[in-house]
Amino acid sequence: MTQFIWGFLLLVFLALPPVANLLESIMIVHMHMQMPLLVIAGFLMARLVQLKFPRFFENWNGNGVPGILLFVIIMGYWTLPRAMDEALTVPAIEIFKYISLPFLAGIPLRDSWGKLNNLWKNSVIGFFTVLFFAMGWLYIASPEQLCTNYLIVEQITLGWGFVTMALCMVIYLAYTYFVDPADYE
Amino acid sequence: MANNKKTLISLIVVLVFGVLLFYIGTDGFRAYTAETARVIQLLEDKPKFPEVMLEDSNEEKYPISEFKGSYVFITFMYTACGTICPILEMNMGQVYRQIPEEYVGEDITFLSISFDPERDDPETLKEYMELFYADGETWRMARVNDDGELQHLLDEIGVIVIPDGEGDFAHNSAFYLVDRDGYLMDVMDFTDVDAAAERVISILEGDKGD
Repeated sequence: MTQFIWGFLLLVFLALPPVANLLESIMIVHMHMQMPLLVIAGFLMARLVQLKFPRFFENWNGNGVPGILLFVIIMGYWTLPRAMDEALTVPAIEIFKYISLPFLAGIPLRDSWGKLNNLWKNSVIGFFTVLFFAMGWLYIASPEQLCTNYLIVEQITLGWGFVTMALCMVIYLAYTYFVDPADYE
Repeated sequence: MANNKKTLISLIVVLVFGVLLFYIGTDGFRAYTAETARVIQLLEDKPKFPEVMLEDSNEEKYPISEFKGSYVFITFMYTACGTICPILEMNMGQVYRQIPEEYVGEDITFLSISFDPERDDPETLKEYMELFYADGETWRMARVNDDGELQHLLDEIGVIVIPDGEGDFAHNSAFYLVDRDGYLMDVMDFTDVDAAAERVISILEGDKGD
């Protein structure tokens, strides 16, 4: 219950117009801080939802695959340059951002992650590594301004943000590949 | 076993949702940036080019409707721009030179509109024009003095201009073609000079055949 309250408060806080405006005024903060925080808000709220509707998740997300796929789709959508622009200019898309990231990405992520085996988990991380390298390259190398609401220098910053995240995931994957936790038990 | 079935169903539902989301979100996998979406929208709407008062490099003032009866090939720029505008104008010059002489000035006029009226006075525009060998008659450069009119024009045509705080602007660029009745007819990629020239020439030749 406390987790739900924290998650809910986080969502409300992020939705406050001054907070939203501030976070959205900087491109990299918009994508790499506001959006993940919205997912975290959903992740925190998920526990109560799981307890309230255990049958639903068991029935429809038995092996965790549909949930993680939904998570991947929503995250993929929000890496599109157009989605970021329209979140700023089209109110319906902004509302969709505040609904989709917590409820269609955060909640399924929490429900699915524990159900997935290691192969699935690493594949998902691997997918995001490739996606983030590709998006990073796109945002850094594009000579065009991809988002009409942000300057090109911000776009390059965002690109490096993507590359940094991808590198972190590479380190993690290498670590899980080379290090066997059993050696330390 | 029943659960597996339901999981499969939800997997399919999620997949369908994903395809729909991307399909709708990108206008049927066509527009991944707001800029392409804007061009697609413009080409569907074909709005009337808003009436604005121009002041050109010869200090002459006239409304844009003065060009009625001929096509107008338009770009938006500002002369202090060091990045994209010189390329935009240079490419515009290449299109200009590809158009057969018989049409130029008669059936089509080239017009570069500055969105920085404060700095781009007629004298500055004149200097800038010389850089691109524009003659000021068949290829004119002009500013829009009225702030309200300028903003309305930019909004209507979807030109987004963001001041970067250091005297420069970030803005999107394209070639715009306005038809003889003053309606937006086409928005073209300014990096593809040959395609733009070909398009304009085929329109002009098509009219001649009528």
